[in-house]
Amino acid sequence: MKAIAARSPLHPRLTPARACLLLALLTLALAGLTLHDGIGLDAAWQGLVAPQAGQEAQWVAHFSWWPRLAMALLGGGGLALAGVLMQQVLRNPLAAPTTLGVASGANLALLAATLLAPGLLVGGREWVALAGGGLAMGLVFALAWRRGLAPMVVVLAGLVVNLYCGALAMVLLLFHQEALKGLMIWGAGSLAQTDWNGVVYLLPRLAIAAALAAALLRPLSLLELDDANARSLGVSLKQLRLAGLGLAVFVTGCVVSVLGVVGFIGLAAPAIVRLLGARRLGARLLWATLLGALLLTATDLLLQRVSGTLPTLIPTGATTAALGAPLLLWLLPRLRLSGQRPAVSTGAPVRRHSAPVRRAGLLGVALLLAAAVALCLGQGADGWQFSLPGEAPALAWRAPRVLAAAGAGVLLALAGTLIQRLTGNPMASPEVLGISGGTAIGLILAIYLLPPMGPLGLLAVGTLAALVTLLILLALNRRHGFRPEPLLLTGVAVTALFEAVRSFVLAGGDPRGQQVIAWMSGSTYYVGPGSALAVVVLALLLAAATAPFARWLDLLPLGASTAQALGLPVGRARLALLGLVALLTACATLVVGPLSFVGLLAPHLARLLGFSRARDHLLGAALVGALLMVVADWLGRQWLFPQEIPAGLVASLVGGAYFLWGLRKL
Amino acid sequence: MVLTLLLAGPATAAPRLMTLDWTIAETLTALGMPPLGVAQTAAYRDWVAEPSLPDTVVDLGLRVQPNLELLVDLDPDRILISPMFASLEPRLSHIAPVTTVSLYAGSDALWPDLLAATRKLARLGGRPEAAERLIATTEARIADLRERLPEGERPLLMVQFMDARHVRVFGEHSLYQAVAERLGLDNAWQGTTNAWGFSLVGLEALAGIDAQLVVVDPLPVGVEQSLADNGLWQHLAAVREGRVLHLPPVWSFGGLPSAERFAEQLAAALEASRSRDS
Repeated sequence: MKAIAARSPLHPRLTPARACLLLALLTLALAGLTLHDGIGLDAAWQGLVAPQAGQEAQWVAHFSWWPRLAMALLGGGGLALAGVLMQQVLRNPLAAPTTLGVASGANLALLAATLLAPGLLVGGREWVALAGGGLAMGLVFALAWRRGLAPMVVVLAGLVVNLYCGALAMVLLLFHQEALKGLMIWGAGSLAQTDWNGVVYLLPRLAIAAALAAALLRPLSLLELDDANARSLGVSLKQLRLAGLGLAVFVTGCVVSVLGVVGFIGLAAPAIVRLLGARRLGARLLWATLLGALLLTATDLLLQRVSGTLPTLIPTGATTAALGAPLLLWLLPRLRLSGQRPAVSTGAPVRRHSAPVRRAGLLGVALLLAAAVALCLGQGADGWQFSLPGEAPALAWRAPRVLAAAGAGVLLALAGTLIQRLTGNPMASPEVLGISGGTAIGLILAIYLLPPMGPLGLLAVGTLAALVTLLILLALNRRHGFRPEPLLLTGVAVTALFEAVRSFVLAGGDPRGQQVIAWMSGSTYYVGPGSALAVVVLALLLAAATAPFARWLDLLPLGASTAQALGLPVGRARLALLGLVALLTACATLVVGPLSFVGLLAPHLARLLGFSRARDHLLGAALVGALLMVVADWLGRQWLFPQEIPAGLVASLVGGAYFLWGLRKL
Repeated sequence: MVLTLLLAGPATAAPRLMTLDWTIAETLTALGMPPLGVAQTAAYRDWVAEPSLPDTVVDLGLRVQPNLELLVDLDPDRILISPMFASLEPRLSHIAPVTTVSLYAGSDALWPDLLAATRKLARLGGRPEAAERLIATTEARIADLRERLPEGERPLLMVQFMDARHVRVFGEHSLYQAVAERLGLDNAWQGTTNAWGFSLVGLEALAGIDAQLVVVDPLPVGVEQSLADNGLWQHLAAVREGRVLHLPPVWSFGGLPSAERFAEQLAAALEASRSRDS
């Protein structure tokens, strides 16, 4: 019975062991071919056992080829091990080291250290990376703690932290691209080695981690039971999850700090092993670790064969991430996602305000005031200057940006409110859906692959990319009636692909990277009077289009069955709202780039201000969003004058502060 | 410094030029007509350094997003950009005419491109003769240095460290190669390069190439320490035999002034190592 149950749904004959064997043979063949065409088999063997003085090829084998092979095996195995642990603890087959913020936290820490405290790096950059990754993961834990580290909440919190660290890294890159170019290579995960130091560092740490994982095997298996059952066996769920996740973070941090950011091995290997029929935790740990090691090694060997012909390094980490994203999309419908949904709550305790209209009026006045200041007050060649709204600088240069900021703020706030109500999840935001990421991928490819083009061309490309992403989202989520969880996870996949493409292009050090960074950081810089008006008109039109959905939005957070019982066509409603969110997000992304937390923040703030019914909530969020963006845009232009910090990034900074402050309430 | 003396003529109602591109800025400065505004002047002083910008030059903000209101206030006669900043042109052209000066387009011959760009900039500045002077002094100086270098130098392998395991190696389309050619030196790197003339490679790609290794500083933080116990680096033939030259920083995507500086430093370093050997 057991044997039959364990049969692979993919192929009846393919067991995890056979898959590993096949992959091992493939890896061996690739390794042999690479050596045969490159260093030579004899030299490689001599290099491994006893390199002779003066034989350069043998020393290359000794200090580069063999350590690289060892690091690929160790790194892949380590990441897969971490992935199994995370997936077991979170009971979510899509949790992985890179999706939980560890990698981006480490990345940010290294960037900051390079600029602010280079002395720290001399002591060993793995420690800086480990500290950054640990902090980011700690933040994720803190965000999800109140919900008992519920799987969906942890994954979303991880994504938010990922995006946030990414936004901060963008600020640093925007201002210091020359100084940080080396770290871009690390961020894309190059496996090139020049000595055995990495192996010496990683091997004992991974051995200890593997031993600890084996020791935790039995208690961790209990996590497969549901919470009540596990608790009745006397297991402290929080502590157990913390131990499991902590171990996973340690392993990830160690691997990432020496190899750089290597995406998706930690996600793919455990998922494949599960699909091949490995059910029990012990089996999954063993086979996933092996498979992960072989997957990374085979990819790396393949890349070594092709990269010699190109003028740039093809970083292995970014490649696995890019290959992994389609794999993830393919896996989505095949994985049974546990229906673990966090208790429905859209965030802060609801204090319904008696007169939302008056509140809205006050917000409107604040918005007008902010817009007036942003229009009249600014710095120029002679310092601060005041100009009346009718005068040239205000009209020609400030007005478009104020209008665009306000319009984008409204668009994002509406999108955020819709998606949070649609999914009943307080951490959902337009960025999380992946439409921003998809748009960004299209623009990056256009900047790199097509001849230099003006803003109109970029706009066309961006719109097209947003549409394609939306179609993918719709096609993949049709089957299960646009249920919230798979929807958000599709977004995770697209966002991961975006991050891979970004690190890929930045690693090469091509000066055009600056343009990519500038656009991605989300600025109203490129907006002229025409496009500013277009944004505002679009925002108003789409806001009007959103209003009729207010009843649906009141009902949807009550859960699918309740809403259905009350006569709501749930599937159709989700589709319609999703389409609207996509449209809103695409428009906003084209103006202010993919990174801004306004879509996440504005709905929360509106709720805190007492806008609780859907119609009021939409109105309040739109006003808050516009206000936030206008203020962020103005601050960004004045703060480091003449340098401008893009509005999206200032909004992210504010958003991060709010997030930390509101941790307890989430 | 003869150069600056030669070129610093009295400025007669010169057009007010501003630029976002450092290569354009250094060329204009060497032509004796420094731009009134340059983007990211602080970073220019770190990464290009020479020729140094006058203190009066206004910082325009980021290269990719210069401050538009500031530009309006400064009222330039012309804004100069390179093709990389094409997406800014529609906004900038509301302020002043925008001229694109093509540099590092990945064409076969960088040197003629640099000369053409220099001439174009001088023409835009209203002093076409300044270009001929700069070109003549630069080429004469390089030819002079070439005379001093003995024949039969090893081919060069010119690299810049990105981190302890990766370097940019400069080849076809690069400033460094163009200068080396003019000095009569061969480039040992025959691999492909991008439009800016470099290829990003792991250190292992440098093995097996018989060359004089030229490292253009600055080294990133911590690289010097880690090279000391970097097995592969220590076993490269060039390193083992002490054939490594360190040159002070030179802007790797520069114009004629950077070219001359690189030539001076390369020649000086080669001569110094020769006198050490003998």
